Amino acid sequence: MKQSFYLAIKYLQFHRVRTLILVCSIGLILYLPAGLQKLITESETQMLGRAEATPIIVGAKGNSTDLVINTLYFEQTKIDELALKTLDILAETKFGYSIPIISIFNARGFPIIGTNLDYFNFRNLSIQEGRNLQYVGECVVGHSVAEKLGLSPGDSLISSPENYLDLAGVYPLQMTIVGILEPANTSDDIAVFTDMKTNWIIMGLGHGHQDLKNVNDPNLVLDRDSSNVTASTKLYIFNKIDGRDMGSFHFHGDMNNYPITSILFVPDNHKSATLFRGRFESGEINEQVVVPSIVVENILQNIFRIKQIFNTVFILVGVATLFILGLIVILTLRLRKNELNTMFTIGSSLNKTVEIIGFELLIIVSFSVVVAFILYSFTGIFVEDFIRQFII
Amino acid sequence: MRNSIIFFTLILLVSCGTDPKTQQYNQSEKLQVAVVNYPLYYFAQKIGGDLIQLEFPIPGDIDPAYWIPGDKALTAYQSADIILSNGADYAKWMKNVSLPASRIHNTSGAIEEKYIKLRESGSHSHGPDGEHEHAGYAFTTWLDFKIALTQAKAVKDILLNKLPENKNELDENYNSLKTELLLLNELMTKASDLIGDQFIIGSHPVYQYLAQAYDLHIHSVHFEPNEMPSENQWIEFDQLLEKYPSGIMLWEDNPLPEVKEILNSKGIQIIVFNPCGNKPESGSFIEIMNMNIKTLENILNQ
Repeated sequence: MKQSFYLAIKYLQFHRVRTLILVCSIGLILYLPAGLQKLITESETQMLGRAEATPIIVGAKGNSTDLVINTLYFEQTKIDELALKTLDILAETKFGYSIPIISIFNARGFPIIGTNLDYFNFRNLSIQEGRNLQYVGECVVGHSVAEKLGLSPGDSLISSPENYLDLAGVYPLQMTIVGILEPANTSDDIAVFTDMKTNWIIMGLGHGHQDLKNVNDPNLVLDRDSSNVTASTKLYIFNKIDGRDMGSFHFHGDMNNYPITSILFVPDNHKSATLFRGRFESGEINEQVVVPSIVVENILQNIFRIKQIFNTVFILVGVATLFILGLIVILTLRLRKNELNTMFTIGSSLNKTVEIIGFELLIIVSFSVVVAFILYSFTGIFVEDFIRQFII
Repeated sequence: MRNSIIFFTLILLVSCGTDPKTQQYNQSEKLQVAVVNYPLYYFAQKIGGDLIQLEFPIPGDIDPAYWIPGDKALTAYQSADIILSNGADYAKWMKNVSLPASRIHNTSGAIEEKYIKLRESGSHSHGPDGEHEHAGYAFTTWLDFKIALTQAKAVKDILLNKLPENKNELDENYNSLKTELLLLNELMTKASDLIGDQFIIGSHPVYQYLAQAYDLHIHSVHFEPNEMPSENQWIEFDQLLEKYPSGIMLWEDNPLPEVKEILNSKGIQIIVFNPCGNKPESGSFIEIMNMNIKTLENILNQ
């Protein structure tokens, strides 16, 4: 038996390329259904976990799936905005507290999420390095953002312009990174968190500029009277905020009308949640109120259907592969006719020959299982990408 | 349908968060209350007493309305269980920092319709936004002692929400403060009767609520107690005096002796009416306010 195993190894070593192709093909066939199963199961767990941890989302009327995906997974689909005053309307119900979310802009491909400190408490996010948000113009980045972009506290991150052709539109703001979050294994890892006010500054609703009382440059001040100073567009608008000019930053217009994309509403208890939903059902609250877990369940049901199709495909592919494997064995035996004849001539029995070929197949299948296992163990890493690419 | 209702109910049961307002502090520790000015500090101290731990990280020599917090002070506010704000645009720094919104309580929220709109710093325009102004509301709301009482009641309600088991103590403390504030209101009403229709000059535009509540005709300039006004400021002052002839001027603190001399030469008597935005060197809010009213009465009775 030892000799048969030795001969099988030597044979496979001699035909390396063919062996490698067989190992990889069988490995992939074994891996694919199990890997997909793992991807879908973990995605489902992750998505449902986040949805179930979020009691209620309030947003402008429109597509509820887009609202939930934008709010929970920061996939910045275009959704209608709410006015900030909606927070007051929700607060008046006294059924819980609200956490505003602004998810519109991005920085180097990562979503900028404007919110307040309640969000960090609500999601149990803690700072791994640096500190939490304190001043306007600061940001705290998720663990994956810091890792992928090689960022650390003290570095800067510039918001990306909405439209490169709109030169007069939203201009980039240089944000100071003050903290890196602990890994959360959720969408929070890929987000850049700022205060809502920082988002409004990116939108152009607030800004800081030179103090007009002290500016006498005729190129900057076009007109001045007792009640009004008219400055030219040459006036220097700060594109970075630090402690020194914090006092000069200000917001224009009625802040109650400032936009937010959604609100996480956290009811005090089950009764409050039911009563809050009741207010919505009765039309007292005009906005869209959704329970994220129900919406995510609907999304996942489609995924389950796709999974069933995939499983059928994989079974068929597996059967086809087995046939091909059989064919390969038969063709190989035919190719090895002379070699087998030589073995019989020098005294090898039929059983010994079958044993050698059996070992060859066993080794190939064993290595294929190892390949499948390695691929399977790496699958977890791609759950987040899988969710982003194929589910939301 | 039935299944989805059960599912929805289960989800809500699982996911209803605990209110961070009640979650943030350990019952064995004192409730941390951060305030933005001295009147609120005084109200919270009088009502909460030993039940609360007060945070007021603003240095004594700074007007809390224009203070900008450093990292350490801001951390104190961020970690407080309750942040008592004054409302009416007081402490503009709150707009430019990150705070846990669910823990901020506007103590004057109930009287928002009484806020006095300002247009003090003029407007300006630049870029495509057109003309805009940075002034907001007058903010020394507590100088109307009825508003001060509303703010004190808001403080009591907020504390009661957190410490319901201490209702009797909080109610008792609040009632004692209420008596003091109502007395101040009565005294100020009497003083306003003495003033009648006289014009009063304010050294700074901080007396709007005092004027509104007690029907006073106060017109203000922008004089600082520790600075000699510029020539332009004196011209502005004379113009104001010509328009609103007055013999008394309210100051937040004693002006420089030379300023006092000039004002006396113009026939104007100085009355220090300290708004008490920050902790006084000595005395309490009520004592300072009593002193303000007494000084006013003394001058008027001369």
